[in-house]
Amino acid sequence: MLNKIIVAVQKSDFDLNSELETLKLKTEKAGAVVIFVGKVRDLEDDNLRYLEIESFEDLAKSQIKEICDDAANKWDLEFILVKHRFGRLKINDNIVLVITSSKHRKNAYEASEFIMEYLKSNVPFWKKEVADKTQKWVENS
Amino acid sequence: MGKVKLKYFSRIRETIGKTSELVEIKSTNIQDLIEELQAMGEQYSVLKGRDFAVYSAVDQNIVTDVKTSIEGATEIAFFPPMTGG
Repeated sequence: MLNKIIVAVQKSDFDLNSELETLKLKTEKAGAVVIFVGKVRDLEDDNLRYLEIESFEDLAKSQIKEICDDAANKWDLEFILVKHRFGRLKINDNIVLVITSSKHRKNAYEASEFIMEYLKSNVPFWKKEVADKTQKWVENS
Repeated sequence: MGKVKLKYFSRIRETIGKTSELVEIKSTNIQDLIEELQAMGEQYSVLKGRDFAVYSAVDQNIVTDVKTSIEGATEIAFFPPMTGG
């Protein structure tokens, strides 16, 4: 399983098609692929100028790797990929990509949600919303 | 104890006004270290966690207990609740 986990913390964007090709090279046993993409959205009551994502890169990568190992132990998975961006992002820019793959869909769906829940509050990233009227650090709801 | 590299992130970085610094410390756990740092200026009161929870990582391991030993540590990071994803 270990050689089928890919984790990256990066400034650059990711390309969904090339990640899916990587998955196909890594495994031919997967019948289900669940893709989650988190992206920058505009605010309800203000106009977002940009979202600044700060990271503690090395620790973030090791925390993500740990949760991927946990997911691999809990579910029968063929492939896991998590790429999380940092830096200054605009509306509609990609933030995070989670790909989970398994023989059948249930494991891939459950593992995807498990990883995202963990990412929300256990991996050292911080988001600052800079808008026309205000700027503030995002808090977990 | 000796010299350790302190790292600050997000709101804590903004309040203290630095991303990191090398500091000679005497404390042997996180709680005592936060108290010790108060002598360096009032901006360090942010580490007391009155406005929001303050997390720390000792040599890149997140710690939840402020009594955790920092003896022998080379890097200690302070940061607010994480908001990834």
